[in-house]
Amino acid sequence: MFQCRFRAGTRFRPLGAPALAGRGAGHLSRPTGYSRLCARDRLLRSVIGMNDLAVRLTGISKRFGSVRAIDNLDLAVERGSVVAVLGPNGAGKTTAISMILGLAPPDTGTVTLFGGSPAEAIRAGRIGAMLQDGAFVAGATVRDLVELARALYTQPLDTDRILDTAGLTGIAGRRLDRLSGGEAQRARFAFALAGDPDLLILDEPAAAMDVAARRAFWTAIRGYAGDDRTVLFSTHQLHEADEYADRIVVLAAGRVVADGTAAQIRAQAGVRDGVSLDQAFLALTGLSTATETEH
Amino acid sequence: MRAYLRFEMRRVVRDPRLMFLSVLGPVATYLIFSGWSAGDRLEGLAAPAAVMVGLAGYGAIAGVLTVGSAVSQERASGWLHQLRTTPLPTGHVVAAKALVGSLTAIPPVIAVGVAAALQHHVGLSAGRWIALLLLMWIGTAPFALLGLAIGYGLSPQMAVPVTFLAFLALSALGGLLAPAAYFPDGLRSLAHALPTYRYAELGWRSAAGHPPTASGLAILVAWTAAFALVAGWAYRRSTARR
Repeated sequence: MFQCRFRAGTRFRPLGAPALAGRGAGHLSRPTGYSRLCARDRLLRSVIGMNDLAVRLTGISKRFGSVRAIDNLDLAVERGSVVAVLGPNGAGKTTAISMILGLAPPDTGTVTLFGGSPAEAIRAGRIGAMLQDGAFVAGATVRDLVELARALYTQPLDTDRILDTAGLTGIAGRRLDRLSGGEAQRARFAFALAGDPDLLILDEPAAAMDVAARRAFWTAIRGYAGDDRTVLFSTHQLHEADEYADRIVVLAAGRVVADGTAAQIRAQAGVRDGVSLDQAFLALTGLSTATETEH
Repeated sequence: MRAYLRFEMRRVVRDPRLMFLSVLGPVATYLIFSGWSAGDRLEGLAAPAAVMVGLAGYGAIAGVLTVGSAVSQERASGWLHQLRTTPLPTGHVVAAKALVGSLTAIPPVIAVGVAAALQHHVGLSAGRWIALLLLMWIGTAPFALLGLAIGYGLSPQMAVPVTFLAFLALSALGGLLAPAAYFPDGLRSLAHALPTYRYAELGWRSAAGHPPTASGLAILVAWTAAFALVAGWAYRRSTARR
């Protein structure tokens, strides 16, 4: 097991994240319990039980007035995976994310992060989140924001590395209320990333970024994930899910209508491989009542 | 907590509107209007000293209310939700906000004090200056809570006008702008029941070398408790939503 821990330093693919690779040895000694196990250990653990789940939703439901935002949703996210949550507007993606983060309690069902409550995981500094809302605070600079995030977590990344990863190096001194939409989104990514969390939760993270920023962003995400870091993101962009996620969960009307790799999703929707995922998505969410009966 | 305090302090320092409203406003008002009543004795002091305390309190309350009610925007923008995804306890967020808000009371008291010393040669002993400053800072507690009540209770569209109205009404009726001694009887009795008058009274009495009155303190504490209750209720309501 100690051998595994020492491998942690080389967990990043060299192509994936030059910005994050080779972090100081400091994080190797971080007392995170099971969170730094190597792949073999995780395999063992998955045989033993479900201790290797980063997120577990069991039968959660949420109503807003007469609207059923989340309808008896079950979802398990394994540690070290990158999972995309896809769905049309109103499918319940943001609601599900705020329940995972403990910002809104579910009406029924339970949410578990790393085997405990969301509040416990958040207090332990294991969660980094990028919410959809602006999170603008007038008067603070990008650097202020990053320094604040670093101070709130016990084992943060280096400031320069965070700025570099999020593509903010040139604008660290700029005020948050003077950023463009894409820059603001990168600033919120930096805030989520700063504490080196075990689980990154991103609600439509790249929606306002231009092509270059988007590409750099996903490269950073892929570099961050893997080994034992988990990323859960929601998106409207099907190709993002297709390219960057290990697994895609399709939500419609607050339920899971499809779950698997991009190929499995296509198969489930009855579209050919190589056909754009858009068609599979439309087929699945359009026929959501038909697919629901299978579950 | 310390990092968040530092973060919030930096934001306040960089906010020019706050400086304008809470420091330049009362200083300019003092320079223009303090000459009018210069021969009178008000609240047990020579008028220039009494007006100084009133306008210092006016500026202090402007700053404290502004910072507290700005929580409304932070709530609406999602910033408070963002903070809740970090290990920072929510109680620390509220405490830091209240503390930073109350610290904005200090610059106006110093600035108006300097203006009074220069223009009218208002001279107090060092001990009385320090007592004045401390009491004018601690006495902002009810207004910090009122600001938080507005910030957690109302949407940004409502919070701005409500803050402004509450501020103007409380400071004008409390005798901070025009001395309550010039009010008709009915209005004067009202002023004596308001937290703004009792807050300034801490300053007037300390500048004259007297301790606070028991009745004045009791009224101030009662307002503090009432605003604390409203702020607590607004806070719980805001976190239960969504």
